[in-house]
Amino acid sequence: MSFSFLAPLFLAGLAAIAIPILIHLTHRERKEAVPFPSLMFVRRVPYRTVRRQRIRHWLLFLMRVAAIALVALAFARPWLESSTEAVASFARSREIVVLLDRSYSMAYADRWSRAIEAARGVVGNMGPDDRATLVTFSERAEAATQPTGDAAVLLAALNSVDVGAGVTRYGPAFQLAHEIVERSDLPSAEVLLISDLQKSGWDPRSAVRLPPNTRLNIVDLSDDDAANVSVPAASITRSRRGGREEIIVTASIANHGPDQLSDVSVALIIDGERVESQDVNLEPGQATVTRFGSVALPGRPVRGIVRAGDDPLPGDNAFHFVVAPEDPVSVLIVEPRAASANHNFFLTGALAIGDRPGFNIDTRRVTRLATSDLDGRSVVIFNDAPIPGGDFGRRLTDLVEDGLGVLVILGRRSPPGAWPSDAPDLLPGSFGGPVDRAAAGGGTLGYLDYDHPAFEIFRAPRSGDFSAARFYRYRRLEVAEGSRTLARFDDGSSALLQRQYGDGGVMMWATGVENFWNDLAIQPVFLPFTHQVVKHLAGYREADTWFRVGQVVDLSQNSGLAEGVVDGEVELIIESPYGRDRVVRPARDTWLVRLDEPGFFEVRSVGDENDIRTMAANLDPSESDLATADLEEMAGALIAESDGGSIAAEATMLSAEERERHQGLWWYLLAAAITLLLAETLLSNRVARVAT
Amino acid sequence: MTISSFLDPKVLARIDNLELLAKTVVDGFINGLHRSPYLGLSIDFAEHRPYMPGDDIRRIDWRVFGRTDRFYVKEFEADTNANFVVILDISRSMDYASQGITKLDYARYLAACLSYFSRQQRDRVGLITIADDLVDFVPPSAKHLDVVLHTIDRIRPAGQGSLAGPLMKIAEATKRRSILALVSDLYDEPEAVVRAANVLKNKGNDVIVFQILDPAELNFPFDEASHFLDLESGDRIPVVPEQQREQYLELMNGHLAEMSRLLIESQIDYFLFDTSQPLDHALFKYLSRRERLSRVR
Repeated sequence: MSFSFLAPLFLAGLAAIAIPILIHLTHRERKEAVPFPSLMFVRRVPYRTVRRQRIRHWLLFLMRVAAIALVALAFARPWLESSTEAVASFARSREIVVLLDRSYSMAYADRWSRAIEAARGVVGNMGPDDRATLVTFSERAEAATQPTGDAAVLLAALNSVDVGAGVTRYGPAFQLAHEIVERSDLPSAEVLLISDLQKSGWDPRSAVRLPPNTRLNIVDLSDDDAANVSVPAASITRSRRGGREEIIVTASIANHGPDQLSDVSVALIIDGERVESQDVNLEPGQATVTRFGSVALPGRPVRGIVRAGDDPLPGDNAFHFVVAPEDPVSVLIVEPRAASANHNFFLTGALAIGDRPGFNIDTRRVTRLATSDLDGRSVVIFNDAPIPGGDFGRRLTDLVEDGLGVLVILGRRSPPGAWPSDAPDLLPGSFGGPVDRAAAGGGTLGYLDYDHPAFEIFRAPRSGDFSAARFYRYRRLEVAEGSRTLARFDDGSSALLQRQYGDGGVMMWATGVENFWNDLAIQPVFLPFTHQVVKHLAGYREADTWFRVGQVVDLSQNSGLAEGVVDGEVELIIESPYGRDRVVRPARDTWLVRLDEPGFFEVRSVGDENDIRTMAANLDPSESDLATADLEEMAGALIAESDGGSIAAEATMLSAEERERHQGLWWYLLAAAITLLLAETLLSNRVARVAT
Repeated sequence: MTISSFLDPKVLARIDNLELLAKTVVDGFINGLHRSPYLGLSIDFAEHRPYMPGDDIRRIDWRVFGRTDRFYVKEFEADTNANFVVILDISRSMDYASQGITKLDYARYLAACLSYFSRQQRDRVGLITIADDLVDFVPPSAKHLDVVLHTIDRIRPAGQGSLAGPLMKIAEATKRRSILALVSDLYDEPEAVVRAANVLKNKGNDVIVFQILDPAELNFPFDEASHFLDLESGDRIPVVPEQQREQYLELMNGHLAEMSRLLIESQIDYFLFDTSQPLDHALFKYLSRRERLSRVR
């Protein structure tokens, strides 16, 4: 049994208790010291002496406080509420907030129709003075109506709402409910949650405590032993064979149900054709990995689907992706006039084996360079060779400004005097003669900027040991203004500099890569380091093969979509997987699109219906886990019973007689208050007589 | 009993055996995670094979390439583990509990769980306890879990907690890059703590800071005017909570915000826990960090 109040505003009368407290005010100091971990902060707060008063006539004080409290409680009209009875209707006007879960898991079997039915039932039971707001939520919460007493408005809103593809998050919904209830001027409030109570959507840290005296009703639509198979993730591995690009698809298949499943069919579908199918066995609550055979990529993007099983929640049984062929990064290596046959051995060896991306490498002697050698390049590496001046130098500078990357490697054949005077403007610094550390057994790299993309993958322990490399000679670098030092030797001198020049970047490495001035080239980190530097300079970004539903995608940043379609001031038409068209216009050079359905989105520009680009979107895998949240934990976080709040698992009605029977308590409270006041009068008279 | 209630520090306080406690928490936590389809890192490796297109290029054995001019992949790389060292503050200020368990007990449970968890990840585990100076030092080793747990078990609060000095000494003493988890109430000036933590970080270590506080330190829920006793220095000063609470909370919140800001600016992971929070929150934070480290490996 618990109390609730019909007129809680009268509880403000309890503030009158302050009067006897002020009269009998006391500050008693404790005799024993209170232990505290550190008085570091307390010391900084100025101490003021406290005026000490003691309460006299304790009995009188308590009687006065009790009488005031009883009068305030009686006027607030308390009524008894049974914790076992489900109660949803009050004898006064209510502010009702209906929180309707429209996350994707509500599409399971008949949950959505039951949810709509429950919401309609609440609208049908509204009293003449009641007011209700329909709030739909998944990862965000939106008020579908303003607070209204008009049942027709609410029913129309219910008819227009449909289950979505979002993920469940209770926090925003309860936050919105809290705001609506707090703004309300009605005497009581009720929040009705209609949901499958997915555990994955419940985060106690984001729970909002509902205002005092709010009643929380929960309509639980979860199913016992709900079966669900999902494809939460798939990875696509690219490779090249005979100049042709191939992909291998590996998918994870999860069984979220309580039963073991045998011979679940998992199919790989490419461009609408089933290319391979496998049967897997799934333990309850477990996931397994399925690897398909390699599939050759045609010279155009392909759409792929991994589909597994068949259950009442079909959306997560398929995983969508789009794979487009990838162009290799074009690299020009410039070698010095007197280069030996093995001058580029380690550099070309490292770049020759890349496949994510592949590198297309050409080598030229610095003496035979032509301006046309720069055409179509993403990165130019001057491997111990000077940057030529003249037309080539000017063309190079223009291309760097437009996005070309340049790596300058300084070795034994790079004396400062050999460099033309018009190149330094491009460089991140100047360089001098060699520093010889051979006598001391060589130096090491003492600092790496792990925040830079070139070194980011080496940040964690065991992910690459640069300290094993010994540097016997290197050139002293002087950092130019506006440049950044990415690596330093252990004597503090710069090892790697970078400068942003227009849209492109220039890096300068202080020592060679021939296994002569240092042994970095034969260390395990050399290969990934070389790849990272060249990828960074080329501005390479792996194309996204899929996105999550709910994700906002900037089409101008997505390499698969950026070319062609996005260029120019045109409008784009996005066709959703459910066949809904919408037009997107650029805003400050960005094309933001929110993917709100699972499947394939088609993007085309207005006026060019043939050039179609595709994006794939998949459901958030947490929505596939249908486990339900702990109702008690949820109620405990949202409702404070000490504040007059309460919770019920379903909604029913009380009869008028029952309501009256539950409300008769105020008579007894008033009678007790009057009795106390009479006793207080007698006692205070007696005390006064004794005092005189 | 549910897993969540089993992670309640008050319930854990009833378990005497520290290893059993760590096993209970970590195994329960891991079992909960294993239902997730995301997990599944690889691995033991020990042999070479020729490189095939599609292989992760970071697994190419470059030394073999230098000798043979052919690409070989270390398909099974010998398991070279990370060092994981808990730096545990055992100063007397940690020996405080307004309700439930003391901060030191909470820190002990957290240290035991993190060590046990890291050992399960095959990391080498070690422990350093600090107060005014270094107190105990268990060097990281694959065989030292028992020693670490035993050392944690017999910890007694001692000394005043000045962090900067001991952390500087640790920075000088550590030779190999490690994951260092500092567990402390951080009663020191934020600049001094961050300066010392930065020294550790700049030596290539990954530093994670867990600040443990009691709810009473965060809320200052005292009512009666009384003398307060500083657990570290033994000083007593008169306090009128109702007059001083607001300013105390301002100073405490400012301290926490400054600590958080400086650590985050230094790219050091920082997590604040009060002793009423279940331990799985801390484990989850650490696991997220560990996942991020292993993803780039």
